[in-house]
Amino acid sequence: MPVRDLPRLLRTSAVRLALRYAVLYAVLAGAGLFAAQWFTARYVDAQLSAGLREDFQILVDRYDSAGTGALASLLAARAASAPDGGRYYLLVDKDGRKVAGNLREWPPVEDDTIPLDGQVHAVWLDDVAIPPEAGVEDDAYWPVIATRLPDGSRLVAARSVREADQLQLYGQTAAWSSLAVIVVLALAMGLFMGRTILKRIDAITATAGEIMAGDLSRRMPVRADGDEFDALSERLNRMLERIAQLMAGMREVTDNVAHDLRSPLTRLRNRLEVTLLHRRDEAEYRRAMEEAIRDADGLMGTFNAILQSSQAASGTVRAEMAPVDLSALVTRLGELYGPTAEDRDLGLTVDAPDGVTVTGNRDLLAQAVGNLLDNAIKYTPTGGRIRLAVERGPDGTSLAVADTGPGIPAADRGRVTERFVRLGAARGTEGNGLGLALVDAIARQHGARLALDDNHPGLVARITFPAA
Amino acid sequence: MRVLLIEDDGEAAAYLVKGLTESGHVVDHAESGEDGLQMALAVRYDALVVDRMLPGRDGLSVIGMLRAGGDRTPALVLSALGEVDDRVAGLRAGGDDYVVKPYAFRELLARLEALVRRGRPEPARSRLEVADLVLDLETHAVTRAGRRIQLQPREYHLLEYLMRHHDHVVTRTMLLEQVWDYHFDPQTNVVDVHVSRLRAKIDKDFDRPLLHTVRGAGYKLSARP
Repeated sequence: MPVRDLPRLLRTSAVRLALRYAVLYAVLAGAGLFAAQWFTARYVDAQLSAGLREDFQILVDRYDSAGTGALASLLAARAASAPDGGRYYLLVDKDGRKVAGNLREWPPVEDDTIPLDGQVHAVWLDDVAIPPEAGVEDDAYWPVIATRLPDGSRLVAARSVREADQLQLYGQTAAWSSLAVIVVLALAMGLFMGRTILKRIDAITATAGEIMAGDLSRRMPVRADGDEFDALSERLNRMLERIAQLMAGMREVTDNVAHDLRSPLTRLRNRLEVTLLHRRDEAEYRRAMEEAIRDADGLMGTFNAILQSSQAASGTVRAEMAPVDLSALVTRLGELYGPTAEDRDLGLTVDAPDGVTVTGNRDLLAQAVGNLLDNAIKYTPTGGRIRLAVERGPDGTSLAVADTGPGIPAADRGRVTERFVRLGAARGTEGNGLGLALVDAIARQHGARLALDDNHPGLVARITFPAA
Repeated sequence: MRVLLIEDDGEAAAYLVKGLTESGHVVDHAESGEDGLQMALAVRYDALVVDRMLPGRDGLSVIGMLRAGGDRTPALVLSALGEVDDRVAGLRAGGDDYVVKPYAFRELLARLEALVRRGRPEPARSRLEVADLVLDLETHAVTRAGRRIQLQPREYHLLEYLMRHHDHVVTRTMLLEQVWDYHFDPQTNVVDVHVSRLRAKIDKDFDRPLLHTVRGAGYKLSARP
């Protein structure tokens, strides 16, 4: 990781969190370690005092059983056997003269007396009392025990705290180094975590940059572990997919609009141009003008249909919604389209139970059903049947238009609701290829769904309003 | 009739003025909502043609102001926006009819004339007559030259509408709106089929046709060809 990334890394929430945890760990671990150390020190002190008391008792017992001389030789033997055993003794006679022991003199202490009570006391011992071979340079509170013997002499024993001090020092060093290791590890882990997260975000940011630069085919990296980043990437990828789809659709629409409007515009222009090439009689001019108007009407129709389906599809226009009596709607539409169907020798039946209503826009729904009826009438061969119905099923209320025509192959059913898609057979017939796309858009606008199915034979188109 | 056109697009206005003038109407033209409002308040017009999008005061606001002042002059709203709800908004603001750009001039003219006729008080009549065709509004009986003609209910309404607007062009869209109460654009001309059935019943057995097709516009019921 380059150094210049460090400030950015420090700003990441992962690192901030890691730092916070590192501090918390350090405080907790520190408290634990020092508590343990304190208890250890107390234990060592207690051990020291117990040892000292036991040892002192042996000395007193020796005096009691064998007298001063025996005690003195025992002290001398001890000093000889372990010159620096950390054990110090002094026996002075009742006048304070040294009889035996490895302390140089009776320890002068701050309050001038060591309690002669045979109990262990922590006493500040001065250098003067400590023999140089003890090697103890730092003055310290030593555990000291002293008593007056029956003959008036005094006995004192002390223990060096050097070992205990060393033990405490080790403990402290261990605590501090553990703490340091913990803090370093916590920080390292935080940085590692932050870097891992940053790397994945960087990948997403980089991809977003490439997409912004114009490469819409790029997708966010997805790893196999299915974590939150993968979920985010997948969601973003689906969004990109949808955007790409919409853009492709838009491009197709633009191409198709250009195509659908170019031919009639060219025809219109040529018709007018050719008419003006030569002088003609009024009837000819009139006919040319009327044909031009018809071309223009066709253009306007296509134009309005494109506009309407775009608006319905994008949902930019909020249609006025009100309860619509579907039964009345299909009855009236059946009546409107009946004669047209009859002229083509098609039987149109209307099948609607009374009083079925949905919330919607009556004119838009009429447009949708009208388009479905237009298609059915256009594509069903003479002698066929068309059924217009309001159906109530478990999925909700449906408007259905079923015919006995050629139907639409299952593979193409999804495609025909796209704008301008006209299947092979339909290419020759009139129409702008916007019919089903508009029906689909209107259905969506109503929260309903357009489904095309096999009518065995023929096609059945259903606009299903979900049950409220 | 005297018409006030409030339209800021000069070229579109010029064509409308020309078309309306040649159709025998007197047209005043205002280029802004404010001017239009002043003119509408100063002169008594038979009808207003108001573009919805105008610089300054918009078309719906002009109509709203006039209506608030008690002026009930029929107003036709022109709009480039399209879609159902514009129409609803336009009508709610006090407009009497609504035409979406791009529109056919014949459609606008037919609607404007129908609007003005609608605004005129009509004598209470029990029957409509065009030449020898008679429609009895009370018994719903239709006769031509004394011969009874059987009509389906919708054919009867169609004929009634055509007879009320006799000698005037009515467009397919007007018929769809007025007879079927639908505001949508059927891809095939379903209305034509109904009209031709009606024509078969009232004209077929008679020498003089009454129901005429006006090319590029619609239909006209008239004793004159």
